[in-house]
Amino acid sequence: MSADSHDHHDDHHHVLPFWKKYLFSTDHKTIGIQYGLAAGAFLLFGFFLMIVMRWSIAYPHEPLPGYLSWIFTDGWKARWLDDGMVTGETYNMFGAMHGTIMVFLGVVPLGFAAFGNYVTPLQIGAPDMAFPRLNMASFWVYLAGGIVMCMSFFMESGAAKSGWTNYSPLAGYADRQIVNQFLAGQTQWLIGLVLLITSSLLGAVNFITTIIQLRAKGLTWMRLPFFVWAMLVTGFLLLLAFPPLEAAGIMQLMDRVTGSSFFMPSGLFSKEDGVLDISGSGSPLLFQHLFWFLGHPEVYVLLLPAIACVAEIIPCNTRKPLWGYKPMVWAVIVLGFLSFIVWAHHMYLTGMGPVISTFFQTTTVLISVPSVILLTSMIISLWGGSIRFTMPMIWAAAFLPMFGIGGLTGLPLAFNLADLHLHDTYYVIGHFHYVVAPGILFGLFAGVYHWYPKMTGRFMDNFLGHLHFWPSLICMNLLFFPMLTQGMAGFHRRWYNGGEGYIEKGAEGVNVFGITVAEQISLNEVMTGAAIALAIFQLPFLINMFVSYFWGKKVTSDNPWDATTLEWATPTPPGHGNFTFDIAVYRGPYEYSRPDHDEDFFPQWEEPKRSAPTEEPSEKPDKETTEA
Amino acid sequence: MADSIEEVKKAKKLYMFIGLLLFFFTVITVMVASVEWLDFGGHGFDGVDATIGLIIAAFKASLVMFIFMHLNHERPLIYFLYGLGLVMAFFCIWLIGWSKSDPIQYGNSNRADGFYNPDKPATNVHGHD
Amino acid sequence: MEIPFVVNARKDTGLFNSKVGIWLFLASEVTLFGGLFSGYLFLRLYADYPWPERALPVLPGLINTFVLIGSSVTVVFAWAALKMREWRKFQIYMGITLACAAIFMVLKGIEYNAKFHHQAVQIEGPGPVQGKGILEGHVHYAEIVDGKLTEVKDKDRYHDEGVFPANRILIKASELTFVLKRPAHEAYVREILKQAGDDHEITLVEDYRVPNEDELHAGGKNRTQLLESEKALVAKSGSELSIDVLEDMEDAFLDARAHDKDIRTDFLAASWDWIRDEKGDDDLATYVVEKDIWKERRKEDAEKFGPLMLSAPGEVTFKVDPPLILVMKPGDIPKSSKEQIKLRDDTVVKGEVLPSPMIMGVDAIDFRHTAMRAEAEGIDPSKAIEQSWILTHTDSHGGNDLKKAWDCHMAWLRFQTERLEKKGRVPTDNDKYRVNWDEMIAYQKLDFIPDDVYKAASEDTLYHAGLFELKGFAGANHKEFDFPHVEIPRKNVGFESTFTPKWNTYYAIYFTITGLHGLHVIGGALVLGYYLFFGRKMYDSNPEWLANRVEIGGLFWHFVDLVWIFLFPILYLM
Repeated sequence: MSADSHDHHDDHHHVLPFWKKYLFSTDHKTIGIQYGLAAGAFLLFGFFLMIVMRWSIAYPHEPLPGYLSWIFTDGWKARWLDDGMVTGETYNMFGAMHGTIMVFLGVVPLGFAAFGNYVTPLQIGAPDMAFPRLNMASFWVYLAGGIVMCMSFFMESGAAKSGWTNYSPLAGYADRQIVNQFLAGQTQWLIGLVLLITSSLLGAVNFITTIIQLRAKGLTWMRLPFFVWAMLVTGFLLLLAFPPLEAAGIMQLMDRVTGSSFFMPSGLFSKEDGVLDISGSGSPLLFQHLFWFLGHPEVYVLLLPAIACVAEIIPCNTRKPLWGYKPMVWAVIVLGFLSFIVWAHHMYLTGMGPVISTFFQTTTVLISVPSVILLTSMIISLWGGSIRFTMPMIWAAAFLPMFGIGGLTGLPLAFNLADLHLHDTYYVIGHFHYVVAPGILFGLFAGVYHWYPKMTGRFMDNFLGHLHFWPSLICMNLLFFPMLTQGMAGFHRRWYNGGEGYIEKGAEGVNVFGITVAEQISLNEVMTGAAIALAIFQLPFLINMFVSYFWGKKVTSDNPWDATTLEWATPTPPGHGNFTFDIAVYRGPYEYSRPDHDEDFFPQWEEPKRSAPTEEPSEKPDKETTEA
Repeated sequence: MADSIEEVKKAKKLYMFIGLLLFFFTVITVMVASVEWLDFGGHGFDGVDATIGLIIAAFKASLVMFIFMHLNHERPLIYFLYGLGLVMAFFCIWLIGWSKSDPIQYGNSNRADGFYNPDKPATNVHGHD
Repeated sequence: MEIPFVVNARKDTGLFNSKVGIWLFLASEVTLFGGLFSGYLFLRLYADYPWPERALPVLPGLINTFVLIGSSVTVVFAWAALKMREWRKFQIYMGITLACAAIFMVLKGIEYNAKFHHQAVQIEGPGPVQGKGILEGHVHYAEIVDGKLTEVKDKDRYHDEGVFPANRILIKASELTFVLKRPAHEAYVREILKQAGDDHEITLVEDYRVPNEDELHAGGKNRTQLLESEKALVAKSGSELSIDVLEDMEDAFLDARAHDKDIRTDFLAASWDWIRDEKGDDDLATYVVEKDIWKERRKEDAEKFGPLMLSAPGEVTFKVDPPLILVMKPGDIPKSSKEQIKLRDDTVVKGEVLPSPMIMGVDAIDFRHTAMRAEAEGIDPSKAIEQSWILTHTDSHGGNDLKKAWDCHMAWLRFQTERLEKKGRVPTDNDKYRVNWDEMIAYQKLDFIPDDVYKAASEDTLYHAGLFELKGFAGANHKEFDFPHVEIPRKNVGFESTFTPKWNTYYAIYFTITGLHGLHVIGGALVLGYYLFFGRKMYDSNPEWLANRVEIGGLFWHFVDLVWIFLFPILYLM
């Protein structure tokens, strides 16, 4: 820091106007909360789209009930619903947007951007992110991207309807009837995507720089909380995996707007347009490659923040160190690296050669090793702990088996041969929804309950918390478990009428397991009911967030959970600049129940009492403390 | 890093030299493509020309990276960060390329993803005009 | 609050923040261009057409390479000047850098512009293989005289009103039918109205009437009465076509549709309640599919809600009087049959397609695709080429300049083959199957006499555009030279495009990569320009900080140069 910039130090303590403090704030905590609220809103919207789809699957001939259709205007219903029933086209549109919104606008911003923004700088003892204005820019670019995408629901073409993966040539051909291509939903999707990627890239640069450069004195690499490690790896995934998709997005945009044929093969013909007016010789496979080059690391971008939250909550609530901290760190690094070379297991059915398929099958199976290390370490961490079943701990505990189911059901999909049968069925949907919904979202809920007291100075209500948790757990399983069995029976993932055509076929449609589609159709209604119930039981959470902010139990100290990491050393809620004293770190992140210490937790920032002159914060990792 | 003033002064000559070297190799690349007695391999463009062109380009690029971008004396962290980008870009290019040149071939996959079969031009399959 | 390590380096990493940031950003840029290059590789290796090798004029690319390398040197000098606290020198070097950026973009603009005006067309017609040859050149201009497409010879008149490029399709339209379900006709309606001018009246054929909702529900009137009511009138027959009129009808149609759907939805929901009561909750889906009881019920429903429907007509027809000759781009008419011509937005044009030949000055003939297809199908390429329309047609003067040019090319090829044979080499496909623009000029100068061509070639006096040919700086120069004039009947016009991303995947990737690179140049120039023009204040207060920033900007600038170092050989020389 230069001498003269110190002179301006006091300027920052002026009272900021409202719009600067809450709207265009450069404070990482405000931006984190902005991200959280925006992502939450998008999640609810995506959830709503899903319920409409599920209605169509279970009751394809029934009009949408009033509690789902009130949101649509009459004009919209006239265009997109058939006598109140969901049409195939509308289902496709909702399906594509559900996936896009949940992944790009919901979970990634919530996990990486919201939690990452709020917690990371606090945990490394930094006053803010390394580039605060860039941070603000990434939020607004993200919001712009989200709005651009969602506005296309109101366009004449409707929103994008070629799946969240937006495969060409379907995605390149859809909405061709729109003369001004910029006003087509499919094009808007791409523009939105490019904005979102830009935002993620800015965010990733910011996060990595912050973690590398702004760690507090004494916070060596092996003293970093696992949360920070996970954020670091996530940052690298976003940084290096997203650009190829940006390239693909730009190419597809060119295909749509300038009529090029990057992803359009020769000889395309449509009933409406005849032989398409394109040059051809493009490759749909190229798009899939570039998409999944991001697509698979993206899975870990979704997952790691949730694991990170859980890894913070478990030691705090079992009052013992995280078991296997170092292996977990290495596992997450290896996981991050491997995630770049597994992508084509999404493409076994594209006719890739068997040799390349075997390569990707091998790497895919390999990547389960670090994942299992992470999960197992956290399960073993529970062993022998005096577990406090606080609200965050309950969510974190549920995360472990739920994510376990999600992960293990993925194994058959890694194998080329098994995948031939399961590809594009509900089994796949069940698998990744187990990972994302009861897995990742539970982890993130745990995070919300855990850090809410730091953000607001009040606890969230326990009763409402339980009213949120237990029904959610049950509904999630009722919703997603039947998908696995349906998938094995051969339910295709894009049936808007839930496989109703197979009713007449009956026993004719029997598959290798002796199961027919027809006998599983009634599960659709169970799942739809569970989805609606799940929606209802998110209300306690929303109420809880709001009510606790004003009337929740106040925290009595800055460290209400008796935790050890640096974020609990700040005032509650932390002010601009975060720390009120010069922060220094003396030990590893999870020093719980140390026999040589009176309390059952030994915060990272607490100066050692004995032999004070010798134990200076050192730059080298302290072997004893990190391995304890 | 060339931080002290003396080092910067010294480096300026080097920058000038590297600049000239880059000019020189650009001319060489163009000559390989256009002058007949420098046209290696067969007549016209072929794999040999492509290899020479790419090697020269890679050499020029490394000059820019190592001298102009100071990668010849940079901190280890920078090598790690930038190297990671190069490795991932390599995976992207290599694996995508490899996926199309599998030693075991089936179907019509050597031609535009199997959609195109020169024996049966896929035009007007619905029989409309 | 103060962010640490903005100016000075952190001890353990030895770096200041923005340096870590820029290298991270560059790493992501590496994967961005990595993705694009893998796209290039993939498209090139598996292209099902002959990849255009060395298709671009090299000179502009070469100059741009020099310019960028030069700017890379000056930007590092600018940084060095700041390090030594020489503001004046910094200004000069940075100024040169920005000037280089400007030159680069201007040259790019010239290149792009040349391609936007250069036309290519695949020829359709008889012949054993699918590729029938490609003609390249400039489209001439035409106008409509006495209801016929007539070429405009006078170049000064090219931009007059009513003059259009001669690659358009002419439709004599007597009726236009718009689909109201699809309310986005503005683009075409504007175009049609513009072309109609004051001479043609486009009027609604019938009244557009939608029964009034209130009157319908009040009851007491039958449908005819409802339709005759004054309130039902949305647009009168004879009203002129305008976006407003169309929008009124679209709104009325969509409102009516919403009203109808609403009622039908209610009936459907009521039927479901009924069948639930009747049959319990089990396996209701089967009722919809197969049980008569449900079909019966729905039939009753239809009788009940039938009279409640507004049933607005979904299409409106306008008459064009006198019939108007519409000039449309081929891409606007995806499909046309004898009576019915459909525009891209489903508007139906009733009328006939007039003979709309494509008129162009041809500067290059390319049979590489034909040869490739012929070889794949086991046919002798020269046989396939001979049968192409390009070589078999006769123009209005009874001759065929293209055939003559091709014969001259064969003479030249004979010489080239003999010459290369002496060196143990063979001609390339480019040599064999392509007549380039400079050849075309040379043959024209020799009056298309093959023997003279052979002689000139052996004496090395045949005009051949070298690297430093300024007349062909950005490609064939149609201002300086006249090229063979060809009229291609519409039935022989296949896929056609200017040399834009649409033409083939090579130009697609060329424009995408160089376009993105150009955006990087502009972005870098903006940042560096900011330091140059607004850096003085920071220089006075904290020169080291400014030096750091210029170093960061410089790193980005070098990276942009680095990308170009690969782009130049890959796109221009390979």
